[in-house]
Amino acid sequence: MKKLSRYLLIMAALGLVGVLGACGRQTTAPAPTKRTTVTFWHGMTGTSQQTLNAMIRDFNHSQTKYRVVASGQGNFANVQQKITAAAKSQTLPTLAQTTYTNVPDYLHGKFIVPLNGYITKRTLNRIDPTLRQVSQYHGKTYAMPFSKSIGLLFYNQDLLRQLHLTVPRTWNDLARDAAKAHANGYTGLALDQTFRPQWSALACQAGTPLVAKHPQLSSPRMLAATDVIYQMIKHQTAATAGTDGFGNVRFLKGKTLFYTGTSAAIGIMQANTPKGLHWSAAKMPSFRGNPRVYAVQGNELVMFSSASPAQRRGAAALMKFLLAEKQTLKWAKATGYLPLTTKALRSQDYRDYLAKNPAAKATVKSLPYGKPDTAFYGYSETQDAATQVADELAALQTTPKQGLAQLQRKLTALQTDGE
Amino acid sequence: MLNAKPTLKSTLKALLYLAPLLIITLLFTVWPLIHALLMSSYVRYNYFTNHVGALGWDNFVYLWHDPLFHLALRNTLWLVLVAMPVTVALALLIALGLNHIPRLARFFQTIYFLPFVTATIATGLVWNWIFRLDGGLLNVSLHHLGIAPIDWLNDPHVALLALIVVCVWQGLGFNVVLFLAGLNRIDDKYARVAQLDGANAWQRFTNVTWPLLLPMTVLIVINTAVTNFKVFDQAFALFHGAAGPGNAALTLMFYLYQKFYVDNQFTVAAASGVVLFCLVGLLTLLTYGYFRWQRRRLGGRS
Repeated sequence: MKKLSRYLLIMAALGLVGVLGACGRQTTAPAPTKRTTVTFWHGMTGTSQQTLNAMIRDFNHSQTKYRVVASGQGNFANVQQKITAAAKSQTLPTLAQTTYTNVPDYLHGKFIVPLNGYITKRTLNRIDPTLRQVSQYHGKTYAMPFSKSIGLLFYNQDLLRQLHLTVPRTWNDLARDAAKAHANGYTGLALDQTFRPQWSALACQAGTPLVAKHPQLSSPRMLAATDVIYQMIKHQTAATAGTDGFGNVRFLKGKTLFYTGTSAAIGIMQANTPKGLHWSAAKMPSFRGNPRVYAVQGNELVMFSSASPAQRRGAAALMKFLLAEKQTLKWAKATGYLPLTTKALRSQDYRDYLAKNPAAKATVKSLPYGKPDTAFYGYSETQDAATQVADELAALQTTPKQGLAQLQRKLTALQTDGE
Repeated sequence: MLNAKPTLKSTLKALLYLAPLLIITLLFTVWPLIHALLMSSYVRYNYFTNHVGALGWDNFVYLWHDPLFHLALRNTLWLVLVAMPVTVALALLIALGLNHIPRLARFFQTIYFLPFVTATIATGLVWNWIFRLDGGLLNVSLHHLGIAPIDWLNDPHVALLALIVVCVWQGLGFNVVLFLAGLNRIDDKYARVAQLDGANAWQRFTNVTWPLLLPMTVLIVINTAVTNFKVFDQAFALFHGAAGPGNAALTLMFYLYQKFYVDNQFTVAAASGVVLFCLVGLLTLLTYGYFRWQRRRLGGRS
């Protein structure tokens, strides 16, 4: 009996302590605020993904209202596929990384929302004018530039010196130098798996964009622009990357004089450069003295209509955070992508970075000449048709004349279907 | 119990047991099939909002006029017509060989079966290395034989052949195991009786083994043909996400993928899926009909 009463006493005391403790916690600890979760799908990998994750961590630490949950999908193609599937099953995230050229298709599917009302005009005006061009569609802002790069000509400094050459300024110079390299047992020019971006830039310089709603591909100038790369491939002074995917794989082996890729490759190339190989980058050459035009590539951020107003505000907060000078510089320096704002591009910090990384200087010099394609409904299909012809040209299965005629027919048919 | 006459109660009970699989099949196989069939007839269709502008044959007309579809169809037919007989013949040869070495049969079965259970992306990467122009295993071997290296993966003239080799290699193991199962079911007595009658090894094969192996051969031929009609991931892994140089290894499944995920032409993709389905169905019926005729000719039950 004595034992039982002692046991009950202990239990009562423990119970009292528990209740008092709970009351104490209730009164002293602040009520936890529920943060809005913002989901974000992207296609970054490697260093870019690590940097992005770090930036998102910083954003989350700076926030009391929102929490961004980023989800890497492996690559850009995967992100697109997931967006297509999720739009159908209505399981889209709050925002995703995509190209601005998809905006018309998304708008047609009625699952994208404009950023107007969430991002002020003043904030948008902070973005570099070349990069800002892509954010608008039909008078509204849909896409926020994010991972942007520009076409560059990479060159092997050792081979250039050995062959007594200088950095080519025109495509004719480039073709001549590549032929000289080939004659000496080297590859003249390495291209990525498809040379469509270079062809696209050449086409612009020839007076008509390649991927456009109403392209005019039959002009002699267009034929000449196409013939430049075709002749180089035919005479084996240029080679596409094929199953390597990117031309920098061949370039970094040290037996290739030039490589045309984008500034996004700078970081990867720096990390993979073998000892003893010296390379740098220059602006892309001009074509027949026409104004220089460079393909602006990369991805934007878009926001989906399935997100709640609070989530949209959270996504906009993230976009604004990424535009902050400190963040955009951190992004550019770690990845090789362009800083997004004019202020960041002109900052002392970035100038110091350029002094240490001369290869990146060409990026900034090229930026004012960057000309992104105009987005339109059916862009993906048109771009794919151009890629198909580029691949056939690279495989020497068609000639520039036949290829351009085939593409013109295809695009006209697409246009008719679309209308 | 097994021979009991089926009643309403026993049928319902059986249906209850079958229900989980039936529901899954209906939901994930039959319904998508019907949906794809319907989608192939949609014109001016908004995939995301489900708005159908009209119904018609436009998507099939598009396929009829699309040179890329013709190329995909041609390549796929080549792939099936070359890879299927080669895979079946090789599998049969290997199975017959293994059947004669029972001690090592299990070990070799495992070796041959490995490609079937290995991830296609992994095997694709290995084959990518084998086919490489610079330092690839195949070209190094050819070099030792005094043959000039071939750019298997970037030359449009040989890219499809490279894909066929990978498909044959990948399908071999499963077919070997199936043939071995078929061979093990054949009673040795038949071969011994034929031997007593003076039949040589070839006669024993053509008159005893082959006819008795026919049902299994039908299964293997149909299965291999269907698998080769649906080749996609092998090409995707082998050619770094492309359909070979200048689309030289474009298959029907790859075409479907491109139309759906790259070009956003969802209804054209559905129509190409329907064409693929019809082709597979037709080939299956033809194969089945041919072997049925063969069985009747050899004196079996029709």
